[in-house]
Amino acid sequence: MVEPVVDIQKLTFTYSGSAAPALHDINLQVYPGEFLTITGPSGCGKSTLALCLAGFIPYAYPGKMDGLVRIQGKNTRDYPAGGLSGIVGLVQQDPETQLCTLTVKDEVAFGPENLCVPSEEIRERIYYALQSVGALHLQDRQVHTLSGGEKQRIAIASVLAMNPSLIILDEPTANLDPSCTLELLDTLKQLRKQNISIIVIEHRLDKLLPITDRLILMSNGKIVEESTSLESHKRLFPINKRTTLPQEITPHSFKKRPAIPPLLSVQNLRAGYEGRSVLAGISFSAYAGEIIAIMGNNGSGKTTLLLALLGVIKLDEGIIKWQGEDISKWRVTKRARGMGLAFQNPNHQIFENTVTKEAKLASLNLSKISEQEIEHRVDHYLKKFDIWQYKDKNPFTLSLGEKKRLTLVSLLAYNPKVLILDEPLVGQDGDRLDLLMAALQEHRERGGITLMVCHEPDLVASSCHRILFLNQGKLLIDAPVNEALVQLAQMGMEEYLPARYEFHSARKQVT
Amino acid sequence: MNLYHNSFPKRTSLIIKGFIPGISYVENSSWLHNLHPLVKLNMLICFSLTVFAVPSCMGGIILFSVLLLFYGLARLGLAFFCRKLRFILIFGLFIFIVQVLVVKEGSLLWQFYLGPAKLSLWSEGLLGGLSMMLRFINIIGSSYLFVATTDPNRLTYSLMQAGLPYRFGFMLITSLRFIPVFHYELEQVKNAHLAKGIDIEGLSPRKLIRAFRYLLVPLVISALSKVDDLAISMESRGFGLYPERSYLDSWALSSRDKIAMLMVPLIFLLFYFAMGSKFAW
Repeated sequence: MVEPVVDIQKLTFTYSGSAAPALHDINLQVYPGEFLTITGPSGCGKSTLALCLAGFIPYAYPGKMDGLVRIQGKNTRDYPAGGLSGIVGLVQQDPETQLCTLTVKDEVAFGPENLCVPSEEIRERIYYALQSVGALHLQDRQVHTLSGGEKQRIAIASVLAMNPSLIILDEPTANLDPSCTLELLDTLKQLRKQNISIIVIEHRLDKLLPITDRLILMSNGKIVEESTSLESHKRLFPINKRTTLPQEITPHSFKKRPAIPPLLSVQNLRAGYEGRSVLAGISFSAYAGEIIAIMGNNGSGKTTLLLALLGVIKLDEGIIKWQGEDISKWRVTKRARGMGLAFQNPNHQIFENTVTKEAKLASLNLSKISEQEIEHRVDHYLKKFDIWQYKDKNPFTLSLGEKKRLTLVSLLAYNPKVLILDEPLVGQDGDRLDLLMAALQEHRERGGITLMVCHEPDLVASSCHRILFLNQGKLLIDAPVNEALVQLAQMGMEEYLPARYEFHSARKQVT
Repeated sequence: MNLYHNSFPKRTSLIIKGFIPGISYVENSSWLHNLHPLVKLNMLICFSLTVFAVPSCMGGIILFSVLLLFYGLARLGLAFFCRKLRFILIFGLFIFIVQVLVVKEGSLLWQFYLGPAKLSLWSEGLLGGLSMMLRFINIIGSSYLFVATTDPNRLTYSLMQAGLPYRFGFMLITSLRFIPVFHYELEQVKNAHLAKGIDIEGLSPRKLIRAFRYLLVPLVISALSKVDDLAISMESRGFGLYPERSYLDSWALSSRDKIAMLMVPLIFLLFYFAMGSKFAW
């Protein structure tokens, strides 16, 4: 009988100040070399479990812990926070906040240095760790020049350098774009071959399931389902339950271009920062009633495009037309009346101290609607988006998903013709997602346009009309969803296709 | 996305940028760059003390020449010196002019009438002004040279290996690490202001309070939210577990560095005594 790496018995944990336990009667064993995936809705206790396993609970977080957590036979109660480093490694969600030194080498060396490993051995460990995550070529780089995916790989390498027997990854792909996600999953596949137990906590399962030995579903602090084979994983989680591949939703207007002029059109746009072009030769038109997905890797120029549309970045060349009128010279505030932009990170765009005030802020600044009417609309949308109950709370106390919904409320309240949304769907599960999509649908029926950066191919396929695909600052694809997916498949951009939307559909088109 | 690209340079920030030199490490591989950071720190301290200890104008000129020589050794050159220290040079000149106009001691050198005003130049004013100006430029110039030629990362690692408690060292390193992150976030917040129609340009008290609330609050909250993650990340890699830690690269002083550590203060001390006895002015 092999000793389990992790042995949890009857673990119950309640954060102090909270009545309900975050974890309730958990029993779990993990064996050497096992690849375990834990999933469940937000707030189900996944992350708390990770903190227990890494030895940060009970001592670093106040609360009451019952039961036993043993890592390689060591009771976590006997060790201070961080005392199990070298046995357990923890990789967190945000690649930015978990790197603490300036160069890649220093970062990977950081752990072994803390454990007083002699420098010769540290050098060997750096080599091994960087090689395992396929990042040897990064070893002389400065940390701040790396992409999100590279940072996340370095975070894994820095944990690997401590020779752990267990690595826990808490939503490691949440902040990554599709190609970085694919990169990271490849890394995990490689790691699986070594005799290290891996626990991944994750929402996005489609690409993870094939390499998962055991899948655990948590809900309300309990383990509710467990499956040990790919077939039963898939039965438990029908991957593309959301995907109804778009047959009919290609908008009326597409086959024959409409008689009405486009609401927004961009001609030969070139823009960038301080003389360096990020975008070049971008031309497209958007017609009333369209929901358009903007896709592409990080660094492909998506955000620059959004900023250029709003006028935050001046154009180096080209014209932006609004209802036929050239608005290239318009000030940002004037454009913002017709184009509401919600940025990716809600924390950077929350300024007021209550949810209601925050929801009203943009409307008060940008529209001529009476305050009473604004209040009425804000109330309506807050209720609709299920954040009404927080209306007098500080918006910073909301969860990520709730903050994202709040920023959308603040836009919808003044009803700009064009909604420009940078990843609005992150952190929204099931019902909330449907709410958001319904709101966008409503906006569309009022004759509005939505331009949305979105990394979820399933969602794009089921709810958008058109895809603009950017690659290295060029508009590579501008086509209705069906055609665009075929083109993406032909280009081998597998990571942008909905799950199970495999190459055969593409091949059919080609042959 | 490149973090260092200011996406919308504003007039005010341009003016500020023009005057206050970018204080940062300039990567290069000159002799001065490659010198051990602790030796350089030692030199900086000795130089600064000597600047204060030697009051005479002649001393100031000699120290200034030494400073320029070191700028040359760092392959930064006179053009770099003038460009980066423009603001300091102008301010130094201002100090000089004030001294010349105000101090009326020593012997009268020159006198002339500018309309109804009588302007006179006194020897003490001229020498005093010159030495004050040089002192000012020498102090700032030498500190700037130190910063420009010393990789802060290397300096901190050297200090930690020389005995600085590593907790303090990593306080410095992590704050350096997060400068580009916060720079990026600042840009994001400013963009969000534009998108929401919030105007925080201007210097009236009301605008300043608004700016404080709308700019600082999101940034501080964002910084605080990172603290937990960072602490967990560092502690889970054993930070603070033992009183000592090992280092990948050794920045210990070589025997040549050690000799330099002793010689530098001696040289400056000799200079101080020589100046004190020989030159009265």
